[in-house]
Amino acid sequence: MIRKPLLAACVAGLLALTAACGSGDGGGNESGETALTYLVFETPSLDAKFWDASIAAATAQTPGVKINKIVAPSTDRDGYAKQLQQSGQFPDLLQSITPSNFVGAGLLKPYDKTWIDANFLLPSANSLKGEVYIPPTNSQIVPQVYYNKKLFAQAGIAAAPKTWAEFLDACAKLKAKNINPIELGGADPFAASMPLVGIISADILGKNKNWLQDRYADKVKFADQDVVTAVQKYRTLVSSGYFDKGALGVKYADSITRFTSGKSAMYPMGSWFLGSVPKDTADDFGSFPWPTDDGSVVVPFVGGGSMAISAKAKDTALAEKFGQAWSLNPANLKALIETDGAFPMLKGKTLDDYGVTVTQVFKDSYAYVGQDNNKVNAIGWATNDDALPPGLNDAFYAAAQALFSKDDVAGEMKKLDDAWKTAVQ
Amino acid sequence: MRKKHLKAGERGLTLLAALALLLYLVFLVLPLLLSLRSSFTNENPLKATNDFVGFANYTEMASDDALKASLTFTLILAFGVTVAANALGVGFAMLLNRTSLSYRVMRTLAFLPQVLSGVIVGFVWQTILTQNGLLNTALLKVGILDEPYPWLGSPHAALFSIGLVVTWVMSGFTTVVYLAALQSIPLELNDMASLDGVRGTQRFRKITWPMLAPGTTISVTISLITVLKLYDIITVLTGGGPANSTQSTALYIVKLAFTSDRVGYASAVAMLLLAISAVVALVVTGALRRREVSL
Amino acid sequence: MLAAAAVTLVFVAPIYLMLVNAFKPQDKILANPVSLPWPPTLDNLKEALTRPDNLIPLGLRNSLIVAVISVALIIPLGSAFSFYIARRSGKAKAAILLALSAGLMIPPQVTLLPTIRILTWIGLDHSYPGLILANLGGGYLSFAVFVYVGFMRSVPDEIIQAARLDGASGLRIWWQIVMPLVRPATATVAIFLTLWIWNDFLNPLFILGPLQGQTITTGLYLTIGQYSVDYGQLFGIMFLAGVLPVIGYLTVQKQFVAGLTSGATK
Repeated sequence: MIRKPLLAACVAGLLALTAACGSGDGGGNESGETALTYLVFETPSLDAKFWDASIAAATAQTPGVKINKIVAPSTDRDGYAKQLQQSGQFPDLLQSITPSNFVGAGLLKPYDKTWIDANFLLPSANSLKGEVYIPPTNSQIVPQVYYNKKLFAQAGIAAAPKTWAEFLDACAKLKAKNINPIELGGADPFAASMPLVGIISADILGKNKNWLQDRYADKVKFADQDVVTAVQKYRTLVSSGYFDKGALGVKYADSITRFTSGKSAMYPMGSWFLGSVPKDTADDFGSFPWPTDDGSVVVPFVGGGSMAISAKAKDTALAEKFGQAWSLNPANLKALIETDGAFPMLKGKTLDDYGVTVTQVFKDSYAYVGQDNNKVNAIGWATNDDALPPGLNDAFYAAAQALFSKDDVAGEMKKLDDAWKTAVQ
Repeated sequence: MRKKHLKAGERGLTLLAALALLLYLVFLVLPLLLSLRSSFTNENPLKATNDFVGFANYTEMASDDALKASLTFTLILAFGVTVAANALGVGFAMLLNRTSLSYRVMRTLAFLPQVLSGVIVGFVWQTILTQNGLLNTALLKVGILDEPYPWLGSPHAALFSIGLVVTWVMSGFTTVVYLAALQSIPLELNDMASLDGVRGTQRFRKITWPMLAPGTTISVTISLITVLKLYDIITVLTGGGPANSTQSTALYIVKLAFTSDRVGYASAVAMLLLAISAVVALVVTGALRRREVSL
Repeated sequence: MLAAAAVTLVFVAPIYLMLVNAFKPQDKILANPVSLPWPPTLDNLKEALTRPDNLIPLGLRNSLIVAVISVALIIPLGSAFSFYIARRSGKAKAAILLALSAGLMIPPQVTLLPTIRILTWIGLDHSYPGLILANLGGGYLSFAVFVYVGFMRSVPDEIIQAARLDGASGLRIWWQIVMPLVRPATATVAIFLTLWIWNDFLNPLFILGPLQGQTITTGLYLTIGQYSVDYGQLFGIMFLAGVLPVIGYLTVQKQFVAGLTSGATK
């Protein structure tokens, strides 16, 4: 007697359970469509609307695909992709990840090379051991220094600094006028590392383009004197008070609004910041390359791009088709150029062909891509053979944050060497 | 005859009890054993390695600075929050130990932080504590500060801020526990004390505090264990930063296992955290229980 | 009284902020975060409820499913087990009880990854049944047993013996006689487990994952991310996500406190 109501309760519970799961959002197979998961990330300029629209556009060009969007909880999509992989949910498509983190375990499938060669200006910009996992649809300069012309004028700075000495001089003049010289969104680790990326790219890679390959070959180390001396420059900026004292508590999104609203005079950031320059005050902003000792131009260049394909995707061919459609879709590229400051890298197209409206500071910054100058693979951002080994980015960011509050440059650089050793073991 | 009848009738119950035990074995004991096994391997799905390495992971822990930093942070937080939340709880309980309506309303409010999820607590405090947050906005306006204070932006301040938030959450719990303990003190005891002229701090030291002993045991133990495994509030509030200065051991384990893919090593660190939790729980509870008896 | 009121005020300030700012537009929040929301605006709540991703309604629904089913299954399992074991004596029983109560202090991070692997083996990874199974077998069961065993011991033996003489089976005694007697324990277990499972973050984040729809806690974490600088929207979402457990707490407050304090004074 008693067993029956109990049993009934259990059955009811199980029914509710299955019903609940049936109504879950895992569907997509109704009309013979293949559901693929697509990991994206949101920033102030690449918001949910952008992703939904771009997915819809590429889906329309790829019959038989249904995309389930996954949004990474922070800009650290590599970290989240690994987390998903570890819990058995590696996405089928992954936007702007660092392929070197995943190819070791055979998780990614390269794109068809003839398609890459046919469509892109720099087909090998993202090439990793000869394979391309991310179509090089666009490129970035990481970092450039953006500056507020009005604040520069207030502090009596005549021209954008070229040499390190001029840069320090500008900082001092700004500080003397009670203007915060450099903005830093230090609460987000990647943003905290921007000055360090600039310094190492300019001072170390600018002199030895093969530095990262040499590091892989153990010919050079972070603890080498030249690197330590270069990184010491960052300490100089910190200890001179050229950053806000609480910069490590400033979120990346806040740092953008602080800079664009005139709270700081300079902002070293990846060129995607160009998408966030306010249209109505765009003429107040300019850009210059990270300053070097002798004033020579070094451009920390990154072949950016769209999405990687999981080798374990349900339908890799279909996934590749979707990736190709997304990468070449003019509307997507237009949105990327306008909102994310992407420098387009499609063959045979000029900026005008995309029908975009961009600011003067965008055009000036973009000019560095076309010029014949000293381009290096920005440390920590390159997605090609010069990418850092898995896990090193985290260590690099942590070092940048740590050096904000302590002086031990040599110690932090040694930690990077140790982390490198563990990573490549 | 009765015995036989019993046996037949017990079967259903035995089945349910066995099912409970089975679930416990499969979803707690087995994972624990798998974790233990994994702690002796170099399991790493990204490198496709999974070999026995003996005690290598355990010896590596000795020279892992990040681990040491995370343990220091975790233990400071655990003991700091436990002391603060229990002191606040006792004080709060003594303030609120009346029965009129307004006091009951206040008691209800005091427990509210416990009801909200760590994610909400984290986000709400983040809007308060971040550089452009509500606290700095208010303090600048009133003129207490000249420039924003980096509540989450420097390692020491971030430790303090997390301690503050977790204490805030735990205090609701400790207050309710101490209130109950206070209410269980026989009235005669207080009357007798009054007659003997024992008052103020002396009365607290001689009567109230000893009588709160059972409450203290449970409140301290639960505070400690809660902070040792705390994950959500820290993840939302600082994500372990700046510069990993607020990376608790629980966060470090998850990071090692899920983003560094060092499953074997993560398991070894997990075993260490388990051992620390066990020792803390057993030693502290044991000491407090003994104290209950001796009082 | 004044002192008590002042301390309480400081203490609930963050909750006050969450409450009033949910009904204020962004510029008013920044101008004065502590002012009363007058005139109140419902825009924040409306915006939160009409998000294209359905964060709030879906999250609340999913959390409710997980919490209710988990608790509805843990209660019979936990109490039956407690009844079974409380009636026995000997070393095996003591050992089992000790092992079970150990579950209360095991940090969930220790068992997280193997649990996911086990669920993968039985084909229930990243599913609601999988998440619920993991809830059933973990520390929550320990808590239920911990509470029930104490209460079961206080059930007079004579009642059970009498029922047995009437020919009632163990199952029947447990369900019809013992369960009504230990109602306060059931209330405690139900209230606390519902709250804990509702507020759980780690298990839904890793075991359920992003594809099956979020629970309210993981939904908040994954969608709000770090890019919301719109405080009005943020507080609106927080308010909607937090209001259910608060209402629940206010309605069952008496049992809530009773449950907490039974442990403290025993």
